[in-house]
Amino acid sequence: MLEPLGAATARAELDVPATLHAPLFRSCIESIDESRRIVVLDLGAAQTRTIELFGGFRCRMEIVDIADSVEALNAEREPAALGSLVESLLPKAGGEPLDLVLCWDLLNYFARPALTAVMAGIAKRTRRGALAHGLIVYLESRMPARPGCYVPLEDYRLVNLNRGARGDRAAPRYSPEDLKRCMPDFSIERGRLLANGMQEFLFRR
Amino acid sequence: MFKKEEMPRSQGSLSRNAAEPDSAPESRSDTSGSREGAIIGRSIHITGDLLGEEDLRIEGDVSGTIQLKNNSLTIGKEGKIKADIYAKAITVDGLTEGDIYGAERVTIRKNARVLGNITAPRVSLEDGARFKGSIEMDPQAVEAALGKPQTAAKPMPAPGMGTAPLASKPAVVSNVKS
Repeated sequence: MLEPLGAATARAELDVPATLHAPLFRSCIESIDESRRIVVLDLGAAQTRTIELFGGFRCRMEIVDIADSVEALNAEREPAALGSLVESLLPKAGGEPLDLVLCWDLLNYFARPALTAVMAGIAKRTRRGALAHGLIVYLESRMPARPGCYVPLEDYRLVNLNRGARGDRAAPRYSPEDLKRCMPDFSIERGRLLANGMQEFLFRR
Repeated sequence: MFKKEEMPRSQGSLSRNAAEPDSAPESRSDTSGSREGAIIGRSIHITGDLLGEEDLRIEGDVSGTIQLKNNSLTIGKEGKIKADIYAKAITVDGLTEGDIYGAERVTIRKNARVLGNITAPRVSLEDGARFKGSIEMDPQAVEAALGKPQTAAKPMPAPGMGTAPLASKPAVVSNVKS
């Protein structure tokens, strides 16, 4: 029995991970000097393909898998306690400075105070001139309830392995001005509206 | 990076569940003649420094340090380790908390939960594994760290560090809607 085309398409969208052309991610990777050591902070969960990609460089990866702590960060209203929580989640301060920060779509899930605190904590750990890459929900008013699970392909397109996850929530739709206010230690190096309605950003420390 | 509990260093102190004597560390050879190595069963709890010169599989609890510099170590699904680990090849399928040094490779299986830093020339992580910590993949830093595993907890910075390795480009904001 044939099923309605719409239903088949909807199920296919749930089954097949979405690939995303992310030209700024690509340019970011292509700008890495292969002869130089880099330190990369991945705010997301450890992923095979991400490790394989950066394994091609002289790289140290710091993986903090912060998604599970988003709600705790958003719930903390006391600035000092919020700062302490951020410190406990990020790599120890004073270590080798970061050159690149992979934020994926996690920035959308932080309330403004948490976003400000997290990025301030990251700024303390980054080298001046370091880059941060992020995907901001812009056109849509809703977004998935949980952060995506993005991994890079060989051609630097990104795949969200969590596509089709249940539930959704309101998207903060952070504007560039919002981001500048919440991330005063970073400037917007480049921004680009992607086909899926997200804005891809490269921030420079 | 992560807080570690104080680890006793009494070498060789071994506690075992008397109700399960068959789970004691043992060395095995199968009938085909291939060498399987020793196994620490799941009822075994070891606190201290574990050193060896044969392949080892751990299904029990070990706290302290584990050194099998010329051999392979497998942390099985039941294994729970709070230790810094040094081995030629390391496969983790259980829980580990501590730094992991693999002279050849480190493999993190999908069921693994790893908290700590990994230093190895080749690191593979199966999707589904949970990992928090750092992975040192810079060959020079790996070589420096594994050359002196007891003292090189922090890999040496590579020469020439101090300036940004990511090319600085003019700030261009395109297609940004505000």
